[in-house]
Amino acid sequence: MIGAAFGETLAHAKAGDEAAFTLLFRDVQPALLRYLRLIAPDAEDVAGDTWLQVVGGLGRFRGEEQEFRAWLFTIARHRAADSGRSRARRPAVPLDLTEAEQLLTSPDTADQALEAVSTRKVLALIASLPGDQAEIIMLRVVAGLEAREVARIVGKSPGAVRVAAHRGLRKLAGMAGLPATERASTRPGVTR
Amino acid sequence: MSGPDAMHDEMPGFFPGRPGGEHDEPLLDMLLERRPIPPGAPPELHDLARMLAAAAGPAEPGDLVGEDAARAAFTRPPSPAGASPAAPRSARHRLTERPARGRLPLAAALAMAAAGLGSATAAYVGALPSPIQHLAHVVIGAPPPPSGAPGQPLGVGSSPAASPSQVSSPAPRKTLRVSATPTSSKPGNWLWNSANPRYSPKPSYASCHPAPGPTQHQAHPSPAPSPTPTPSPAHFSPSPSSASLGTGQNPGQPLAAQDPESPRPSASSLAPSPSGTTCPGVPG
Repeated sequence: MIGAAFGETLAHAKAGDEAAFTLLFRDVQPALLRYLRLIAPDAEDVAGDTWLQVVGGLGRFRGEEQEFRAWLFTIARHRAADSGRSRARRPAVPLDLTEAEQLLTSPDTADQALEAVSTRKVLALIASLPGDQAEIIMLRVVAGLEAREVARIVGKSPGAVRVAAHRGLRKLAGMAGLPATERASTRPGVTR
Repeated sequence: MSGPDAMHDEMPGFFPGRPGGEHDEPLLDMLLERRPIPPGAPPELHDLARMLAAAAGPAEPGDLVGEDAARAAFTRPPSPAGASPAAPRSARHRLTERPARGRLPLAAALAMAAAGLGSATAAYVGALPSPIQHLAHVVIGAPPPPSGAPGQPLGVGSSPAASPSQVSSPAPRKTLRVSATPTSSKPGNWLWNSANPRYSPKPSYASCHPAPGPTQHQAHPSPAPSPTPTPSPAHFSPSPSSASLGTGQNPGQPLAAQDPESPRPSASSLAPSPSGTTCPGVPG
């Protein structure tokens, strides 16, 4: 998060300052890609489309950092939905074993979940949650959005978002606290 | 549901052995808001906090892919209609279509080259029909069609038995226009002119005199021989040299190659052929 300097950075970016735009990009892009990798197989393409639209509408944007992030992730979700619809019209090759499944069924990675907590492994664990819970946790924790902004993005009430986030966190804590073999046998399964 | 084998979230409490699980909600809200939890919170909650902090951790290699493209899009002048999500897709579409569009002329050129090579081979073998074989004979120096073949083009006299009436056939005139003077088909054209002596029904003109059209005089200011008003069939030359458009040179060469400076044969090229044809008014 850029914080107090966001307003000035945004103003410079609107004026065409490439360095200011790069700062905005580097601040948001990691979270954007992590979120998109959860909901879209072609995350990098969707991120590219998202930034193109952000660049086009940057001059008309009004708001603070939270609103900027909420706007950007709303665009990203729409582009991911477009990509999903486009992908649905094309034949897909199913994957037998996702990365999350490999992580959860691999005995040597089980004990590493908490000892050497890596971003990639945690994201894989989150991806193994039910879809709505995983997406809400990502938007809340990784993107740093408020509950009402997440509710607006996913089309749920703020209360439903809160409940889904709590359920997801409980499952995540349960998976983290179980040995790998039990995790693999009791986990709810990958929904996507 | 209860018991040691149940999932933690299916039990009444968030953590095993901790009743009243709904009481953990304030702590979960703190985790969601990325606020530090109290040190006295259950260790599982601290583990979860570390996991969420790792999920929102700093950028790793690969997390900034697309920066160059985004910066390029930022520095590019905006389109009048603003950015559209269809724009990158259409750009990708154009990129994928461009090679396919470029392949069509290439395929056409290859097909034409193959057809040309095949035709030339057939011409040199002598397997073409007589009119076409004659055309190939004139243009690329292929062997002439066999003597007395039906449909023999006229005005070129490859057959000694060619009669003057055959000279006026329009077919070879059109053919010659295409092959000998590709740059002009105006009435003043030397080969297109209906007064062209080589296609005149009067054979004595055919091998000796160019048409006295004004265009030809402008193009060839050298003194042209005066046409003979009384044509004589004896002046018609059925020799192979007259068959090659009467240039008196190598019959196997196309006209353009015989006179590279001028696409039209000069009056001197209408001089008597080595076969001894007499041309009145043309100095020997």
